[in-house]
Amino acid sequence: MQHRRKAVLLMDQRTLWVMLIPVIVYFVLFRYIPVAGVSIAFKNFSPFLGFFKSPWNGFEYFRQFFSSIYFLRVLRNTLMIGLYYLLFAFPAPVLLALLLNGVRQRTMKKLYQTVTLLPHFVSFVVIAGIAVNMLSPSTGVVNAILGAFGVEPIFFMQRQEYFWGIYTFIRIFKESGYEAIVYLAALTAIDPTLYEAAEVDGAGRLRKLISITLPALIPTIVLMFLVRIGNIVSVSFEEVLLLQNPVTLETSEVISTFVYRRGLIGADYSYATAVGLFETVVALILVVGSNTIARRFKDAASLW
Amino acid sequence: MPRPFGKKASSALPELAVHLFLIMICAAMLYPFIYVVSASFSDPEAIRANRVVLGPVGPLSGKAYDLVFRDQRIWTGYANTLYLAILGTAVNLGVTVLAAYPMSRRNFRGRTFMNLFVSMTMFISATGIMIPLFLVVKSLHLLDTRISLLIVFAANPFFIILMRSFFSTIPEELFEAARIDGATEWTILFRVALPVSGAALATIGLYYLINRWNGYFWAMVFISDPKKLPLQVVLQQLIVTAQMGEELDQSIVKAGTTAEAVKYAAIVVSTAPITLVYPFIQKYFVKGATLGSVKG
Repeated sequence: MQHRRKAVLLMDQRTLWVMLIPVIVYFVLFRYIPVAGVSIAFKNFSPFLGFFKSPWNGFEYFRQFFSSIYFLRVLRNTLMIGLYYLLFAFPAPVLLALLLNGVRQRTMKKLYQTVTLLPHFVSFVVIAGIAVNMLSPSTGVVNAILGAFGVEPIFFMQRQEYFWGIYTFIRIFKESGYEAIVYLAALTAIDPTLYEAAEVDGAGRLRKLISITLPALIPTIVLMFLVRIGNIVSVSFEEVLLLQNPVTLETSEVISTFVYRRGLIGADYSYATAVGLFETVVALILVVGSNTIARRFKDAASLW
Repeated sequence: MPRPFGKKASSALPELAVHLFLIMICAAMLYPFIYVVSASFSDPEAIRANRVVLGPVGPLSGKAYDLVFRDQRIWTGYANTLYLAILGTAVNLGVTVLAAYPMSRRNFRGRTFMNLFVSMTMFISATGIMIPLFLVVKSLHLLDTRISLLIVFAANPFFIILMRSFFSTIPEELFEAARIDGATEWTILFRVALPVSGAALATIGLYYLINRWNGYFWAMVFISDPKKLPLQVVLQQLIVTAQMGEELDQSIVKAGTTAEAVKYAAIVVSTAPITLVYPFIQKYFVKGATLGSVKG
């Protein structure tokens, strides 16, 4: 009996590993080998020589990147777009969730949520296409409205100084409804008797917001903030790529679009990989940095 | 339970102000879509003179749709996107289940290793491996094939972890009972685990489906043959960079419409399916988004 049990158990282990074969092959081929392939940043990669035979090149490509005009430009654009995101786009879903939570009728709440979620499901290509066309100087509705007030047509997509703002605005439009879901879940988890008790004690709306609602939201806000901060250097890639054009590269080229342009369009594989690795390091610094700050923040909060 | 003093627990904001704000936000979010639909049906003259602001400006015209429906690229794009969306989602769910099921089994000895092996890949930066991933696909001679998109994005570690967490909530007694009856792990997976996982599979499957439908960047990088391009890449050429192609340019002039109207019609034709289906599947997305936040 004992023997048969053991045999069955071994059989099960083998079956479970068999299930995992395609999974392991997939992750090795398309996740782990590319990670190992990042080493071409330190090589003079030539497609003819291949991955193993291409000669080592040390930090040459990093040196080239850091001494080029692109280094400060793409770093600044990446961080500024991230900063715009944190300042304007990060609070938007929190406010939206607070508003949605204030609606008592279930059907209305659902209707508002359906509408605000809609842009999340429309592809970035379509959103970018709508934006470019609506902002067009000749046939765009934005300029039509401005024109009614006597404003000369503005070439929105061709002006470097507008790019960060336009990008952030579109980002708020597209993702606020989706990002609000998490905060809304945290808000609905608040025990309603807390509000009732506060009302008995004579608390007004503002008092309840400050003393009950916001404290309940803070853990979620901090968590989402940490997640976002690690992502700000990379997450905006596809959106930025679709909205930028050669005229605005001075402000619209971010690290990831630069990697794409140099690596996949220019076939400058090693150089682009070095820049990509640099981006990974920047992201890592941001994550570790924000984690440290968050821990300090938590320690400070627990003192009160 | 009766509330004290018969008062409803009120939220932090006055109700009327909340409704006003939300109506304004919703109007702003719907406006671009209303504008696109209106403009696509408007008189080409009105579009050219930039007179369309909210509703369609007559005389109404369906010429733009005529041209879009006759444009071969849109249809090819649709067919390719349907192929990628259906097969791609099937591949995604298959690999996700095959990974998640063993990872959720308490008696599986490779559990710790596999969990680490899968979740570590969540920390890989997409930009960091952009070039090496491209070179891997190139060296496997997968460039310019639709299969490349199916297999390069065969699974997302995040959804594997989500599915694993779901499988672990299935009561262990169900598995024990099946094992006593002599069921193999395959039978348990198909007869016990999957039948009770409908909601989780639907949620994760819909996320994969939307990603497949809306995916743009890697399709643009991998595929250059116009016959294999999915809808989003075709749309990008048509509406963002406005490369209509000579043939379409000529028929626009011949039909007496404008490039803008054709762009707007193309947006409507390509976005209609997902916006019509979305209200019905919305609850799964809301569920999925909160699941993700709990599991980090």
